[in-house]
Amino acid sequence: MNEPADGISRRDLLRGRLFPAKPAELTPPTQNDSPAPENVIRYPTSRPDLERAAPAVTPFRRTIPVLRPPGAVDEPTFLRDCTRCDACVEACPHDAIVHAPERFREAAGTPMIDAMRSPCRMCEDFPCIDACEPGVLTDLVPPVMGTAQIKHQLCIAHQGGFCSACWERCPVEGAIGVEQGKPEIVESACTGCGVCQHVCPAPTNAVVLMPALSRPPSPTGSTEDPE
Amino acid sequence: MTRVEADRRTFMKSAAMAAASAAVVRDRTFALQVLDDAPAEQSGVRWAKAPCRFCGTGCHVQVGVENGRVVAIAGDQAADVNKGLLCVKGYHVGLALYGEDRLTRPLLRSGDRFVPITWDQAIDVIADRVGMAPERFAIYGSGQWTIPEGYAAQKLMKGGLGNNHIDPNARLCMASAVTGFIATYGVDEPAGCYQDLDECDVLIMWGNNPAEMHPVLFSRVIDRRSQGEEVLLIDISTRRTRTTEHCQEYLEMKPHGDVAIALGICQQLIERGEYDESFVGRHCSFRAPQAENPTLLGEPITFDEFKSRIAKYTPEHVSELAGIPADSVRRLASLFADRSLRITSLWCMGMNQHTMGTAINTLVHGVHLLSGHFGRPGDAPTSLTGQPSACGTVREVGTLAHALPGGRVVANAEHRRQCEEIWGLPEGRINPKPGFHTVSMWEQFCTPASAGGEIDTIWVQVTNPGQTLPNLPKLFDAKKGLEEKFLIVSEVYPTATTQLADLILPSAMWVEKNGVFGNSERRTQQWFKMVDPPGDARDDCWQTIAVAHRLMERGHEGMRDANGRFLFRVEDDAGQEVPIWEWDHYYDVNVDRALFEEYRAFTRLKHKNLAPYDEYVRSRGMRWPVVEQPEGVWRETRFRFAGFDDPFVPEGEDFDFYHSTTGDGRAQIWFHEYTPPPEVPDDDYPFWLSTGRVLEHWHTGTMTRRIPQLSRAMPSAYVEMHRADAEALDIHDGETIAIESRRGRLELPVWIGGRGMPPMGTIFVPFFDESKLVNLVTLDAHDPFSKQPDFKKCAARVVKMGG
Repeated sequence: MNEPADGISRRDLLRGRLFPAKPAELTPPTQNDSPAPENVIRYPTSRPDLERAAPAVTPFRRTIPVLRPPGAVDEPTFLRDCTRCDACVEACPHDAIVHAPERFREAAGTPMIDAMRSPCRMCEDFPCIDACEPGVLTDLVPPVMGTAQIKHQLCIAHQGGFCSACWERCPVEGAIGVEQGKPEIVESACTGCGVCQHVCPAPTNAVVLMPALSRPPSPTGSTEDPE
Repeated sequence: MTRVEADRRTFMKSAAMAAASAAVVRDRTFALQVLDDAPAEQSGVRWAKAPCRFCGTGCHVQVGVENGRVVAIAGDQAADVNKGLLCVKGYHVGLALYGEDRLTRPLLRSGDRFVPITWDQAIDVIADRVGMAPERFAIYGSGQWTIPEGYAAQKLMKGGLGNNHIDPNARLCMASAVTGFIATYGVDEPAGCYQDLDECDVLIMWGNNPAEMHPVLFSRVIDRRSQGEEVLLIDISTRRTRTTEHCQEYLEMKPHGDVAIALGICQQLIERGEYDESFVGRHCSFRAPQAENPTLLGEPITFDEFKSRIAKYTPEHVSELAGIPADSVRRLASLFADRSLRITSLWCMGMNQHTMGTAINTLVHGVHLLSGHFGRPGDAPTSLTGQPSACGTVREVGTLAHALPGGRVVANAEHRRQCEEIWGLPEGRINPKPGFHTVSMWEQFCTPASAGGEIDTIWVQVTNPGQTLPNLPKLFDAKKGLEEKFLIVSEVYPTATTQLADLILPSAMWVEKNGVFGNSERRTQQWFKMVDPPGDARDDCWQTIAVAHRLMERGHEGMRDANGRFLFRVEDDAGQEVPIWEWDHYYDVNVDRALFEEYRAFTRLKHKNLAPYDEYVRSRGMRWPVVEQPEGVWRETRFRFAGFDDPFVPEGEDFDFYHSTTGDGRAQIWFHEYTPPPEVPDDDYPFWLSTGRVLEHWHTGTMTRRIPQLSRAMPSAYVEMHRADAEALDIHDGETIAIESRRGRLELPVWIGGRGMPPMGTIFVPFFDESKLVNLVTLDAHDPFSKQPDFKKCAARVVKMGG
């Protein structure tokens, strides 16, 4: 159940979260009218149909979106500069930061959040950012990790029942709106912390958590694209 | 993927299908069309019906079983109660069986440890304890006993041992509803049914939070609204809840304010001459408690006396007592004065866990009777229950210290004779003296024999008193260190109760055994065993029968009937006795069916007639009285005492209260004087403390806290308080604080602006969390008639920690 793969459509998989302050050069090139940005394919697991949809010969580098801790710089820089020192893992008071497993390929071993296990609680002082010496977690980048989406057909409140778990526990004010008891993610406010997914008691988890597709480069200047 | 994961995956996938189709279907034709449809077969999953294990609503689920495991749960579309919908707990009910720490072997205490013993040894230990002092032995059961389980325990105690020390946890839960119904109608249980929720124009919730506690029922009402129907919802409560959000009107009352409000409505109806004179004149009498030694019969008063006694409860006076505006009292009275409206009142623990529980129950019935809002679909005073068989087992089988099956009581010689006759017992076997009710049973148990404690051994089945009794330091924890006391606990998981157990018996639960439940609307519901219990776990009913047989082997004459036959003799088709006391033979026959058929004879004694067992196998439950029609069809009853539906109302009568306490077909409209709560906040303890449940967890959470989804959604208990109170005490949201009362102390985190919002001066703590036992703090004061404790109000203080 930790993997929402069963409950989500391919479109959901591809939609992802685009960071609001997206630099123009990150707009992915398109080919053959493909509706998909090329740098998002593999979350949360590789699926055979997607392998076919995005053949292995693609000339574009594919980055697996990872739900990074808050304040993470753009992914290439993150991968290059993160020293895997575990300082953030140890600093997190909620044990929410874990090592990315092998299936994340080159990101394996880097810090990430597995919300079903323990979500980011959006601490006021972000001890993980404080602890990060290489500065790949920085308070110069807004703490937006991704975004959540509520699947109405799976949500108990949307299906005629009563449930208020997600919006009661959401740590970000205004990130989940409620109308007549039915919750809706406010994408402009949601930080993708994953608390809603963690607490969702629906028979099949009704929250899909999308890591940020892109994040701003480090504002400190070391933004040279490793490619 | 391991086998376990595969099962869970299948389970969740199927449950997802259920969720996706979970809109309430209100079209009855549709419900009929799908009557015997189970969800489509998938990958070898076999489906069967069962009522949900959790609350008293009585939703039916379809249980999917594969390779001897429950792998899927779906809402049962053919069920009239829930029409396919389930609540967040119901969707996960199958996982309640599969917590990692199921008890699988009988365990005997040895110092601080437990040693595994055989079942044979365990039964011997119990027989030893009973044999030592049969009159000092007690059974403490619950509204989660199936009907046959409760019936067997009842028969063992009252019929076998001549011992009336058997009481259920329902004493903590709906005893005041029982006394309210009996005092008013002479017979227990609601006259109406859930159809009232589909037909009412006004729904008044008296201290009730159905959005969390009975969500499927509440969605029946909310669904009507979403279809454009107008329903006025009024919430009378001591705190804002999830229910309040759906109500047009919210009346925030002071604790015990409900008593004043009900009196105020009656006062206004009479003063304005707007009560239903014709209904009252033909069908009601007036009653008040005797000044000395008051009973449920009370003494008759005239209408004029009623009028003069109630005169002082003017809207202004009520406003003072209850803290709601005087105009709100007038407004409620105007609603009741309007006979064109259909008004349903709902209540549960708010009115029952109340030191004036019997009084407020009778007063709300009185409001409905006085105004004539009774007996038409949608016009009903209806109490809800929190346990799946509080009605079916406790109230109907009568597993209470004073009762016998079929609405009989031990104090009545004729009643005892009837029971002895049905049970085939020698005359005089049943003890005429009522046993100890819950609070006094545990008080006797926790008092050393040398200091006069009269109970030495308690056998607990299907409940968790170590968490639910009020004032735990006095009524439970005090057992510790008392050498002569012995606690036997039949359980499925380690609990607060097994902590102090001397003998733990592993039990089968829910679909690991056959069962019959009876829900809040008089609906009797049957299911079959679908999977085997884990390890050596066995049915509670078998445990009771095995002990009875062991006692008989040892020569206890009480275990034989007047013909010298075993009390629980069950025969096969050839008339041969089946040795059901041997586990290997317990399922050679359907013991549930045999006990149920025997029990049916009792149900006819008080017009609570049940159909044969096999009729319940075929249906999704039927509401009693169920009466056979000339054509051989069994017909259920939706509206009791109403001529158009109740078969026991004489032809041509519109109403007949045929169990009237006055023997004249009339219901009683009671007068009770308002009295303040037994403990009110003062300088030392300035807060009101109330307790209750939450949506995600059922009762003490022993099942739901082992379901990962529910546990993540609601991991631990908390204290709700008003933002202004928190600011005044420099307390922040999420901070851990201590609450203290004259009984005890408890530390827990604060939740401000969360699930419920108490007014200033009130705090609320849910009781599901065994790591934060709020009953260390609560008060054991109880209602004088029902003996039900008041968990909803006591005085407490809030202490900031570390400062």
